Amino acid sequence: MENPRLSSNSTAFGIALVVASIANALLVAAKEKSPKVLGFMKGLTGHHWITHCTFIILLFLVLGWILSHINGNKGIQMASGLLNATVVGGVILAGMIIVGFYLIVG
Amino acid sequence: MFLGYKNPPIDLMKEILLMTHVFLGVLCILGALWVFVDTLNAHDTNLARIRLVSRFVPVVMTLGFLIAGYWYVNIYPADKAIILKGPWPFAHDFFMETKEHLVLMLLLLTLYLPIASSADLSSNREARRLTLWVSSLIVLTGLMMEGEGGVISMGLRMGLLPH
Repeated sequence: MENPRLSSNSTAFGIALVVASIANALLVAAKEKSPKVLGFMKGLTGHHWITHCTFIILLFLVLGWILSHINGNKGIQMASGLLNATVVGGVILAGMIIVGFYLIVG
Repeated sequence: MFLGYKNPPIDLMKEILLMTHVFLGVLCILGALWVFVDTLNAHDTNLARIRLVSRFVPVVMTLGFLIAGYWYVNIYPADKAIILKGPWPFAHDFFMETKEHLVLMLLLLTLYLPIASSADLSSNREARRLTLWVSSLIVLTGLMMEGEGGVISMGLRMGLLPH
């Protein structure tokens, strides 16, 4: 028998994946356009890319954990089809922002 | 001189690190492709294999990411200077710049793959669809990374040619 529901972890970390991917793209634009942001990121770990990766990976893990534990540990609720569309659309959009930024602005 | 290297242990280590990260990237792509194909035919008998391979993908990706990160931070700056002075500066300005940030999305996708495929894929249509999407995004992004890596090494080669 077909079960149409996704687990709370799938939903929570799916949303975290989209948020972290978009944040990754926006952080690219921020550090490339602002020497202050770039300098701050370099200052934290010695290399802007290490700070960038650490922040985005932590954002994914922490946000995913929080979203899977809200609602009395039931996790965030979302229609399965909407989650699929959000994950695919969000990841593709984030990729397009990065590629578009370096094509047009960078 | 050994195999054409002036400083064999260090120079060889650089080459081995570079090739290892490419090899692990290929393993990641093949693993995600395996998950994709197995998920298309998901049934009770291949669920354990799908879960095993979907856990293998983030392991090889994380290893490759760490090696590539070490290489990018410590070894690549010398190559970058050569690329930027050569006839193919876009190999760094566009291809390396996008690669170093798109690869982070690829890492997150691989970390998400075992979560997406943890459901009973034989009876859960939406989980099956999600696993298919995530694994196909990993394959496509991974292939893009391999292609970008090829252009970057070509940019370095062009920079080393007399011009």
